[in-house]
Amino acid sequence: MICENCKERPASVIVTQETVDGKKERQLCEKCAFNMQTFQFDPNQEPLSIQQFLSHWFSGIDPSPAQQQAREEPFQTLECPSCGLTFAKFLDIGKFGCASCYDTFHERLPHVLRKLHNGHSLHTGKIPVSFNELFAVKKKVEELRLKMQEAVADERFEEAATLRDEANALKESYANGGGERNVD
Amino acid sequence: MSIEKFMRDAVTGWMVPYGEQSDIVMSTRIRLARNLTGYHFPIAFTEKDAMAVDQIVSSVLLDSDDCRYTYTKMSDLPLLSRQVMVEKHLVSPQLIAPNRHGAVILSADETVSVMVNEEDHIRIQCIYPGLQLEEAYKRADHVDDALESNLPYAFDEDFGYLTSCPSNTGTGMRASVMMHLPALAMTKQIDRIIPAISRLGMVVRGSYGEGSEASGNVFQISNQTTLGKTEKEILIDLGNITARLIAHERKSREMLVAKSKIVLENRIYRSLGTIAYARILPTSEAARCLSDVRLGIDLEIINDIEMSILNELMIFMQPGFLQQFADAELTQEERDIFRAKLFRERLEVELKNSSTKHGKDE
Repeated sequence: MICENCKERPASVIVTQETVDGKKERQLCEKCAFNMQTFQFDPNQEPLSIQQFLSHWFSGIDPSPAQQQAREEPFQTLECPSCGLTFAKFLDIGKFGCASCYDTFHERLPHVLRKLHNGHSLHTGKIPVSFNELFAVKKKVEELRLKMQEAVADERFEEAATLRDEANALKESYANGGGERNVD
Repeated sequence: MSIEKFMRDAVTGWMVPYGEQSDIVMSTRIRLARNLTGYHFPIAFTEKDAMAVDQIVSSVLLDSDDCRYTYTKMSDLPLLSRQVMVEKHLVSPQLIAPNRHGAVILSADETVSVMVNEEDHIRIQCIYPGLQLEEAYKRADHVDDALESNLPYAFDEDFGYLTSCPSNTGTGMRASVMMHLPALAMTKQIDRIIPAISRLGMVVRGSYGEGSEASGNVFQISNQTTLGKTEKEILIDLGNITARLIAHERKSREMLVAKSKIVLENRIYRSLGTIAYARILPTSEAARCLSDVRLGIDLEIINDIEMSILNELMIFMQPGFLQQFADAELTQEERDIFRAKLFRERLEVELKNSSTKHGKDE
C-alpha cells in the first residue's frame, strides 16, 4: 500500500478524519501523517507499536475522560517552536520531530520515558567529549563573569574589561565550535 | 551465476562461525542512534536538510584514514541490490524507502555500516560473528568518537543522546545477539523463556528484527531499555542472559541425545535429505531443515559439512539473494525452485571439498 498523500512512500499509518460527510479513512506514510493537521491512530491496526503504546498510556482512555482531559489540556496543546510538533501529536505518532521537542516537552518527558525504560528517566551512559568540553567552557565563562563583577565592585575597571573580553572570546568559541547552532 | 562466484561475492564479515560459542551464537550486533543539532529529525526534515546531513556525515567518515569506507546512496542502487543489502543486514528495511535520501557508509569488511537518514540522522551499526559484545561495542564506540569529534551531536544532560523515537533515548544503543536454539525450541522450553526474558528489560524476536516471527529456530535477543543504564551495564546484562541461554540450550541438547538419539538422528538425516535433493523448497521448510542440519553438525552426527552453512544459507535463501543468484526476477514458485537449486549446489561444493580433503589425507 502506497501513501495516499505523497504517493511515494509505503503507507504505514491509518488516519481517521472527521469530515462533514462523516468519517473518512486515509492510508498515509509516517512523514505525511506527521505533517497533517488533525489525525488519529486506529488502535486496532498494528499489533503494538510504540505509537499505540504511548497513546494508550497517556491519552484519553481513562475512566474519567473529562477530568483527565482537563488536567492534560495545557500539555496536549504545547507546541515545539522549532518543528511545530504538539505534545498530543507526539503521543499519537510516538516520535519526536527534532531535538528541541525534548526541551519543549521537558516537564512531561520523565513520565513518558519511565514507562518505556523500566522506571528510568535519566541518562547515565556515555557523554560526548565535545559536550564535556562545552560544559567546561560554560563553567569557565561563569567563573570569569563572577570575577568581573568583583572587579567592578572594587572599581578595578581595567581588569574587569580584560575579564569581559576573555569571557566574550570563550563564548564565541563555543558558539562557532558547533555546540549550539541555530535550530531553524 | 556459478555457486562459487556467488558465494565469493555474497559472504560477508559476520557470516563466518567465530569463537567458542559460535555453535549457538551466530552473530553480535551493536547499533548506536545519533542525531545532529541544527536539523530536524528525518521524520520532519526537508529535502535540503537531508542532503546537508548526508553530506556532512559522509565526508567525516570518507575523509578519515581509519579504514577504507565506501559510500552508497540508496537511490542510486537498483531495487534488487537494495533488497540484498537488507537481507545481508547491512541496512534496515526503513533506509531503502524511496525519497528518504538514505545512504550507507560501509567499512571494507562490511562489519561496520553507518546508515544516514534512517529514523535518526546517524545509525552506527557493527556486526561481528559469534559472541563478541565487548569487541563489537568497542568498534562502534570508536566510529562514534570519530563522528562526534567532527559533528555537533544532539545531546541532553538529563536525557542523553536525543533520538527520534523515545524508546532509543539515552544511550541510543541496541545490542543484540542472534542465537540458534533448536533444542530449546524442540522441547518447547523457549515458550516459557521468552516471557521471562521480557521481564528483565530484554526482548526476543525472530531473526529478521522487529515484527518478524522466529524462523528456523534463530532468535535475536536485545536490550529493550536504553535509559538509566550505562552501555557497559547493558552489555553485561545481555551477556549474562546469553550465557544462561547457551547453558540451557546445551543441557537440552545433551538431554535430547541421551533420551531420544534415534528420533533426533532420523529428523536430522531426513532434513539433510530434503535440502540435498529437494526440487521445490519453500522458505519455512528450508529454514526448518537448515536448523536440523546445523544441529546435526554441532552434535557431530553430520561430519562432512561446515557449520557456516546455516549462517550463509539462512541469508541466501531470501528473495533478493535468490534473484541475484538466478540473475532474473522470480515469482514465488520460481523462488522455491531456485532455493532448492541453490541448496543442492551449495551442498555439492561442500561434499566435493570434503572428498578432496580426504583424498589428500590418504
